Amino acid sequence: MKLAADRILSLLLLGLAAFVAVQAWQLQVPFSYDPLGPKAVPLMLAGLLAILAVVLFVRPGASGEWPTGALLLRLVFTMAVLGFYAALFINLGFLVTTALVSIVIAWLFGATPVKAVVGGLLLALGSYLLFTYGLGISLPTGSWIEPLLGSD
Amino acid sequence: MFDFLIQGFGVALTPLNLGLAFLGALLGTLFGALPGIGPINGIAILMPLAYTLGLPAESALILLAGIYTGSEYGGRMSSILLNVPGDAGAVMTTLDGHPLAKKGLAGPALGLSAVSSFIGATVAIVGLTLFAPLLAVVAVKFGPAEFFALMIFAFASMSAMMGKDPLKTLIGAVLGVLISTVGVDSGTGVLRFTFDMPELYDGIDFVVMIIGLFAVSEILLMLEHAFRHDQDGEMAPIGRVMVKMSEVMYCKWAILRSSVIGFVIGVLPGTGASVASAVAYTTEKRISDRDNTFGTGDMRGLAAPEAANNASAAGSFVPMLTLGIPGSGTTAILLGALMLYNINPGPMMFREQPVVVGGLIASLYIGNVMLLLLNLPLAGVFARVLQVPRWILVPSVAILAFVGVYQLHSDLMAIYLMLVIGVFGYLLRKFGFSLAPVVLGFVLGGLMEENLRRALSISGGDVAILFQSGLSIGLWIAAALVVLVPMFAGKLKAKFLPAKAT
Repeated sequence: MKLAADRILSLLLLGLAAFVAVQAWQLQVPFSYDPLGPKAVPLMLAGLLAILAVVLFVRPGASGEWPTGALLLRLVFTMAVLGFYAALFINLGFLVTTALVSIVIAWLFGATPVKAVVGGLLLALGSYLLFTYGLGISLPTGSWIEPLLGSD
Repeated sequence: MFDFLIQGFGVALTPLNLGLAFLGALLGTLFGALPGIGPINGIAILMPLAYTLGLPAESALILLAGIYTGSEYGGRMSSILLNVPGDAGAVMTTLDGHPLAKKGLAGPALGLSAVSSFIGATVAIVGLTLFAPLLAVVAVKFGPAEFFALMIFAFASMSAMMGKDPLKTLIGAVLGVLISTVGVDSGTGVLRFTFDMPELYDGIDFVVMIIGLFAVSEILLMLEHAFRHDQDGEMAPIGRVMVKMSEVMYCKWAILRSSVIGFVIGVLPGTGASVASAVAYTTEKRISDRDNTFGTGDMRGLAAPEAANNASAAGSFVPMLTLGIPGSGTTAILLGALMLYNINPGPMMFREQPVVVGGLIASLYIGNVMLLLLNLPLAGVFARVLQVPRWILVPSVAILAFVGVYQLHSDLMAIYLMLVIGVFGYLLRKFGFSLAPVVLGFVLGGLMEENLRRALSISGGDVAILFQSGLSIGLWIAAALVVLVPMFAGKLKAKFLPAKAT
């Protein structure tokens, strides 16, 4: 028997419920006029979640199709690209990071390299103009570019 | 009694708000039509825009409501032309819409769906105008105990009606409520689930949550989709765009019946377009499918779900505006947007914020007319949007998500949090959850806890206060009925009609 996806989920949810319960239990509550306090609701939710998780374990649904192999790699890679986008967004600036990320994502989604590069550059430039001049949002220009613009 | 509406038209007819209603309708239609985006994702992605523009509350709400109703219009395009429903509410539209397109009637099908959507929405907006003030009068009698019971009712009706899997709907709602408990507890100042990260003290930001949950997870799902099926279905040619008057008249009863069904279901808290269109379609099939033409491209089979899902979209504003309980996943997002403006949804909103409420309702009338005028002649143009290649669409969604979060927070932590929530949303969707209950739980969770604790503070901890007034007892009974009746109805049906499989 293959382990149903819902059974794994159920175990994860049980773990989450236990974690929530322990965390909530440890809250230090100062005296207050509130008879319920901050612990009660998370504890009730943890209990409810545990019950629902057990029901799920007993009656799991269909497992669905899960990504494996090359697809899983691509998904992880996409998240890594987005993480890279986040990490460099401020220091490298909107224009450069957006262009790079758009090119890579376009390529991941099956654009030819030429299309990806042209599309990515146009997207970055177009969205920069739209946000900066159209909507008046100030986007990070990047810390590397400021010295080049001359100091003041 | 209708002062609020007159005042509202005063607000909605200012040039700024008219322009925003138009912008919302246009953007909503475009985003709703984008392949794989659909209404709820469209509004999630465009929501930060409302803040970016620095709009006052009523203007922001008008823009968002325009996007909401517009995306319901746009969502039908991929259903009809590609047989790919943009969201659960559009599934029923594919049943007769796509066969019509295959017969070469794609244009008239789009036209008919615009007209039925218009009629459905109009019936429901009139219903909203008449019904909301009445409900608001009752709502004033709500104390914390009644509110708590009402929210239990909302979750009960949601789990009974929404999604294919009631168990996962409930789990999703519980997860949403749990996420809402992160941050400083407003009653005592105790930090809950913040793990010593100052960024979490204020709780998980609504915009970060919504964009992560919908937009980021959508990127991953689109990647998977693109990898599995290398191309989408063939797009049917549009043909003549106008729908004939005789075709509309042929469907008139289907449209009117479905509009009423859609409105009533929309008003029920927790049930939205997907339930409304399914009920309307099956009802219409039962009433008028004499020659078994439903499912093969019967115009009434297209008109019914289209009228119903737009009617339910407007109907779901009734509980949101009067009680502060969203009627659907999308109104939950709108409600969260209101809360960001420090407008507390609830029974007093109708009295305290007549400008916001009236302006919104008036703008629904205006937006609806605009949408019809936009959609009838321009359906062919909007349909082009369906052919936007994913390699342009996906980076654009990523850019909108990043800029949306960045301009609200200027903070890297918020962006990382958005990505983490995105992976969480992706996993939930892979496990077969629908995201609407999670959002409802997230939005309602804080209110639910607050009202429960306030009720028990009043009674000094005596739980009996929850069951004291007639109103709250009625709500508890209603909640029990919504859950139990379908369970037993199913069993009774199986007992007495064993042969009939539907």
